[in-house]
Amino acid sequence: MELYKRYVDVILRQQRSGKIIPMYICWENGKQYKIDKVLRAERRASAVGGCGMRYTCMIEGKQRNLFLEKDKWFIESHQP
Amino acid sequence: MDRMIMHIDINHCYAQIEEMKYPQLREIPMAVGGHEEKRHGIILAKNDPAKKYGILTGESLREAREKCPDLLIIPPAYDDYIYYTSLVKSIYREYSDHVESFGLDEAWIDYTASQHLFGDPVHIAEEIMHRVRKEIGLDVSAGLSWNKVFAKLGSDMKVKGSPAVITRENYREKVWPLDASDLLYVGPATTRKLRRRGIHTIGELAQYPRVYLKGAMGAAGEMIHAFANGEDTSPVAENNAWLPPKSIGNSMTMIHDVSSAEEVKPVCYVLSEAVASRMRSHGMEGDVVSVSMRSAGLNWFGCERKIAQPTSVSMEILHTAMELIRGNYDFSVPMRAVGISVSHLNPAGTYRQMNLFVNEEAREKARRSDLAMDEIRDMYGFDSVRRACTLLDRPLTDFNVKDDHTVHPVGYFQGRKMVL
Repeated sequence: MELYKRYVDVILRQQRSGKIIPMYICWENGKQYKIDKVLRAERRASAVGGCGMRYTCMIEGKQRNLFLEKDKWFIESHQP
Repeated sequence: MDRMIMHIDINHCYAQIEEMKYPQLREIPMAVGGHEEKRHGIILAKNDPAKKYGILTGESLREAREKCPDLLIIPPAYDDYIYYTSLVKSIYREYSDHVESFGLDEAWIDYTASQHLFGDPVHIAEEIMHRVRKEIGLDVSAGLSWNKVFAKLGSDMKVKGSPAVITRENYREKVWPLDASDLLYVGPATTRKLRRRGIHTIGELAQYPRVYLKGAMGAAGEMIHAFANGEDTSPVAENNAWLPPKSIGNSMTMIHDVSSAEEVKPVCYVLSEAVASRMRSHGMEGDVVSVSMRSAGLNWFGCERKIAQPTSVSMEILHTAMELIRGNYDFSVPMRAVGISVSHLNPAGTYRQMNLFVNEEAREKARRSDLAMDEIRDMYGFDSVRRACTLLDRPLTDFNVKDDHTVHPVGYFQGRKMVL
């Protein structure tokens, strides 16, 4: 399946220890998606270009890759 | 025990970083090149499809377009290159506390002591290559040897997926057949000198009597002879080792050729200010001012002068530079590029030797006005204050050398002495 790079707003929680946990992804149309679980966080290159910290997330029962690239977030989206 | 040194090179670095950011660029001929309209238009790096058209690093954008009219040329994004290459190097640093950068894209890693922790060097080199691919999305090539020079030759062999290993047993087969110009510090001029002696390969260089090379080429001849025999003993610098610069300089290809000293003076103002400002930020003063000039015929030449007192004052650097230009360049051929540098650097002291024959008050005033300009520029940006004369030909002087030209090639010895 073809993937698209989409920069998104993210609501995150930063713990006292400094650790970052993304909580919600906010789409351009204003819709928010809750991140139910972060399965893994590791440094990876993305198939859609760019690299950074990859958060493998469960969102509404689907697994999605969310990247922190420098200081911006993008998702490997299934929709253009 | 022999040392175990890796050299790792990010292949066609700038182009590969652009491809990593935008994967669709992998399909089309693409190169990273300087700004065409500002005339520092050369190819800095190209991708594989562009290579098929015979495009060479260092050639002008015009020449490249003639070979491939559809070539996509991307202006360099130095901030990104610095950022991503630093991520790559942070991976190297997980394996050794001796990682020495050689430019943005290359580094030596002294793995000698780390073998006890991580094991087999070939396996670890493969692991590093794999991790850089997986985590940063870049391909690197690696070489392994007991000295830095052969390790670099190994990575130049660009073996896919594993390091080229050059040992004391195999270097005669692997290194000696290579062209002498592949060796570090053998540039075009040295290659010509070697050719005249019938030396074409590294092996021929290694077997040539050292005493003759020393006689003909001095210490440099002795050095490359040692390199060819694997006798390089220079250490890999420790992480974060900072060596004070030996000289500070900037150069500029001008937006149009100039045909008089008066015309080039505003450019020299900007260059002197940048050099002086960089010297002050390093806390250095120097007393040898050098000027390099390139004519429209593309010949570089340079001259230098020792001045009476060490300085970091832009006006003093400028005056010496202008005297050198007036005395050495007759402008019968227009000038295309100019560079100013100051060497013989020492930390700027609190105490200074006064000179009976110069106006020390005026010197102090010039120094303070430089400091004031630095402060204003730090606070409000480079363009917030400038010499009125630089407004006469604004396009010619419209550049911020200090901040725009921060990526420099580095010297191999970085101030160290070679021990033979």
